[in-house]
Amino acid sequence: MTDYLEYTLDKFTFKVATDCSYTPEGVWAKADGGQVIVGVSDFFQQRNGDVAFAEVWEVGTTVSVDDEFANIETIKVDVELPCPVSGKITAVNETLELEAEVINQDPYGAGWIVMIEAADWATDQAKLMTPEVYYEHMKVQAQEEAES
Amino acid sequence: MSESTKVVIVPCSGIGKTYGTVSREAAYEVIEDLCPETSQMVALSMLVLGDVNARAAVANSTAITIDGCKLACATKMVQESGGHVAQEFAVLDVYRRNRKLKPKGIAELNEGGQQLAHALAEEVSAVIDDLQGEEDA
Repeated sequence: MTDYLEYTLDKFTFKVATDCSYTPEGVWAKADGGQVIVGVSDFFQQRNGDVAFAEVWEVGTTVSVDDEFANIETIKVDVELPCPVSGKITAVNETLELEAEVINQDPYGAGWIVMIEAADWATDQAKLMTPEVYYEHMKVQAQEEAES
Repeated sequence: MSESTKVVIVPCSGIGKTYGTVSREAAYEVIEDLCPETSQMVALSMLVLGDVNARAAVANSTAITIDGCKLACATKMVQESGGHVAQEFAVLDVYRRNRKLKPKGIAELNEGGQQLAHALAEEVSAVIDDLQGEEDA
């Protein structure tokens, strides 16, 4: 069972899953067997609003760290997601095609976006934020958002 | 048709939100152009303020709500005011069915937003026609 770090600001509570590594933009990655599962954080989905559409690159696409691997269109913005890991996309969450809102409903679970066969997960993971570091980063972003 | 038998339309009151604007533009098109004899609008803000006339209109009529986001304030407020929601619409769902009509703008919607509001208004008016048909039967 996943544990979470939680931060409450005003009426909002943001969860950070402790079994994931993060990019500063709020893309998470975690190893699962021989694959790395990738999605977006709870803060990312709350900050950007209801997801209307998710366009995800096809299975078989080779990606490098920071390459775009998906485009998320929400009621507020269009966001290009940077890939947290290099490798080949081996699976795309098919639920997103018809029910993209699952990203809002369950960002760390059913709302996962792609699975990637990583070329060198250990090296890529070392460059990502730990949950604790991302938690502090997210708190600053949330506070800035609240003050803007 | 008396005011009490008209279908009440309650759109989102999200000011400064594109989807809220789409909901209100659609509601205006319904009550002014598509179903002027069979529908009336009640402002969500009046329900929130507890306005007696607004609450009475909702309590005594069938309502259709148009929400701009998943918070669904319009639907919740009608229900809390004792009204019966015959149909809930969410702008996002209508956009998902009409992806080419991407709404932008707030005070003034872009072409996509105006067309999306029109598509939504037609869906709402179809529901009103169905409700009126049931009432007449």
